[in-house]
Amino acid sequence: MNTPLPKRASVVIIGGGVQGLSVAFNLVEQGQRDILVLDAGYWQGGASGRNGTLIRPGFASVAWTELFVLTVKEWQTWSKRLGENVMFTQRGYSVVSETEKSEAMLLEGLKVQKSLGVDSRMLSRREIDDLLPAINKSRVRAVQHQPEGGVAPHHAVMKGLLSFCQHNGVDVRYRTQITGLERTGTRVSAVLVGDHRIEADCVVACAGPNNPDIAAMAAVPLDGFGMRIEAMALEPTRPLIKPAIALIDSLAYFHQTSRGEVVGGTEVPETPRMSLKVDVPVMANMAKVYLEMFPQLGEVRILRHWAGQFHASTDYAPLLGEHPDLKDLWFSAGWSYGFAGAPAAGKLLAEAIAKGRIDHRMKPFALDRFEKTGPIVEGGIVLA
Amino acid sequence: MVSNGRTVAFLWNGTRIEARQGDSVAAALWRAGITTLARSRKVHRPLGYSGAYPTGVLARVNGRPNVRLDQTCVEDGLAVEMQNTWPSPRFDLLKLAQAVPAKFVYGGFEHGAWMPKAGLAYRLAERAMANLAGVARPADAAAEPRLVPGERMAVDCLVVGGGPAGIAEANRRAGHGETVALVTRGESLARFASAAGTAIEPLDPKVRLFTGMELFGVYREGALMVAAPHDNRRGAVVFDPRTAVLATGRRSIPPLVPGSHLPGVLDAHAAFQLTAVHGVMPGRRVAVVGTGAEKALADRLAALGVTVVHRGPVEELVEIRGRRRVSAIRAGTEIGCDAVIHAGPWRIDPSLGFQASGEGMFQVLARPLPARMSVAGAAALGDERIHARKHLHPGTLICPCMDVTAGELYCHIDAGETDPEVLKRLTSCGMGPCQGFPCWEHMLALLAARIDTEPEAFARPTHRPPRRAITVAQAAGLASLVEPDR
Repeated sequence: MNTPLPKRASVVIIGGGVQGLSVAFNLVEQGQRDILVLDAGYWQGGASGRNGTLIRPGFASVAWTELFVLTVKEWQTWSKRLGENVMFTQRGYSVVSETEKSEAMLLEGLKVQKSLGVDSRMLSRREIDDLLPAINKSRVRAVQHQPEGGVAPHHAVMKGLLSFCQHNGVDVRYRTQITGLERTGTRVSAVLVGDHRIEADCVVACAGPNNPDIAAMAAVPLDGFGMRIEAMALEPTRPLIKPAIALIDSLAYFHQTSRGEVVGGTEVPETPRMSLKVDVPVMANMAKVYLEMFPQLGEVRILRHWAGQFHASTDYAPLLGEHPDLKDLWFSAGWSYGFAGAPAAGKLLAEAIAKGRIDHRMKPFALDRFEKTGPIVEGGIVLA
Repeated sequence: MVSNGRTVAFLWNGTRIEARQGDSVAAALWRAGITTLARSRKVHRPLGYSGAYPTGVLARVNGRPNVRLDQTCVEDGLAVEMQNTWPSPRFDLLKLAQAVPAKFVYGGFEHGAWMPKAGLAYRLAERAMANLAGVARPADAAAEPRLVPGERMAVDCLVVGGGPAGIAEANRRAGHGETVALVTRGESLARFASAAGTAIEPLDPKVRLFTGMELFGVYREGALMVAAPHDNRRGAVVFDPRTAVLATGRRSIPPLVPGSHLPGVLDAHAAFQLTAVHGVMPGRRVAVVGTGAEKALADRLAALGVTVVHRGPVEELVEIRGRRRVSAIRAGTEIGCDAVIHAGPWRIDPSLGFQASGEGMFQVLARPLPARMSVAGAAALGDERIHARKHLHPGTLICPCMDVTAGELYCHIDAGETDPEVLKRLTSCGMGPCQGFPCWEHMLALLAARIDTEPEAFARPTHRPPRRAITVAQAAGLASLVEPDR
């Protein structure tokens, strides 16, 4: 790990989280060599190790659903391709509605999902009893269930990605913070780490909440801002909740991990800020959701509560592709569902970088969409 | 918890146990000669009341999982059951896991080493492992969700800790006309100091006293601090302190030797709790080790009627032996004993200070405390060094809650991984009920000794609230009390 940094690389990826490593892994599969990954923090220290790990194919818009149908297909192949079990578990993903309004939204979304071939349906009362025996049925108005959705634990995914990358010649450096980007004419040409200069054919920014800083280093604009989001884990118990769950009205999401902790988070209307520290309202509101929805969790103790940071774009949709103002600078940014979306993003970006082919599923997420086609309207997201 | 001589009876795994009213369940079981109260999650090692590790006292009480037996009073008819056993607590086949070669359980159930790669086999294995890893069955279905309302309170000064230093500080502030609240874990003030025979000054009646409560969270740089009662029928309290004093004292860290997790190994606080408060002997033959305080502790225990067979510096202790509880120690020679009490190395639980001061965009690192907070008493004395050997027996348990051994940590350290945050994520060390104290003290000492450096060379992993101090129902009771920060 202490060997000096190289003087050049074909591709420099900024960020060694799930996005950066997914791009690296897919580039290796495309035959790309000479890849360098730089990360200012530690392995799993960013949002890749702090998110809710929920994965689902179906949303309410065509653009999101197409991207996430691809991502679920990719997730299904990762264990095999990486040579390590990433523990992707398709235990289903249930989106729960508590109001008439959100039920209507789920029904609208269902039409989109069906038209794109997603296995998704509204559950009958009896199916709700079978699938979610512990849920407080008096609070549930409707449940949209996606059997192909599920979860994958951070540690298994990140371990699979990191060992694949390291065994295939990708140079991955943690605790290595970049300090500048160098431009030559209309393209980005080098990455600076202090006074060390790394010449690059191509730079991919996968820096999560720090993507706006990376754009600033290259003196190009980038939509969005960094903010924190909080989650917490309850003390482990044996399985009580099978599928992953999103509560569309309470803006909460959670699941029970393979080691028994119920892990999830919610949103509160605070002023967005960058911070890895937590506050009382999320803990209290999340606890209230658990108590109301799963009364059996009432006397379970809260083990730990943490914050992670992400890059929120104006429409909370990812920003994928080459920067319109600067050649060879690529972004996988603006992610609020980045852990789930990383397999698709890595695949599409790697194809675009290695082969110059921009897939139709990536096009709607272009960085200049706000000026050209407008923001993506997606009502089915609960920040996860 | 003071006995009035009345006898009550409760059930332990279906067996009737007589106890004195006022006993904690842990003390009552100890009195009845039952020291194994729990089983570790991976290989089902016996664990018990230690003072240091909460996992050893977690059991199912009246259908509620993970109840702390050292904080629960005996009551007539209380049904207490050991968790994490199959098919039954008396006949636990899962103990056979102890025969599995150690390296197969490295990483634990959830880390995939044993998992088939894909398909139906994986799905079945994942469910089976989730059952094993979950340790406790969920609570019996409750009829109605009951939110436990909390309260919010502004004070000039919040004192955390009910020992002599906390009392002195609270009295001093109250004497200056400040409104003062004092939060203590104990059911009464200064339990440890009075058990040790120290004279205690009375608390100024103007001080608002909160007993049996854990102050677990410091938010907004100390502008908000939250405490929850051990009794989960009582509500949590959010304080808005103008100033706060951490008088949280120090805890004795278990010796970093094989066998330190065994039932019968107690820290000085727990030993005093048993002998002085409950009148239960910690053992028939007791060894006392420490960093200087062991002599006074041994004298005091002897005065309370304990037979002390060894007293000596903790660094001379090489091994604690025993199968179901301590049977001997090796310290120069082998000495037969059934309890080991440690009084040092003494270290400060860093969680509250870390939460108050920590900053950073890539990693939260401890900084000097914010101006409104100060430290008083033993907590201001600093940490004592943990004696760590470079080649510990690989079976030495470092994190009893998550069942992580020295061998498992060595496996990663020897492969070049020396970042404590990464070691934590690879092994889950410190991710159980204690949330890193005392097991990260051991992890950092072991890491430093292994690569010939000092523990202070490493940044601590992040200390996160609320480390099981509050239930979901208690936390829900805070929802209308604190507005999001805008």
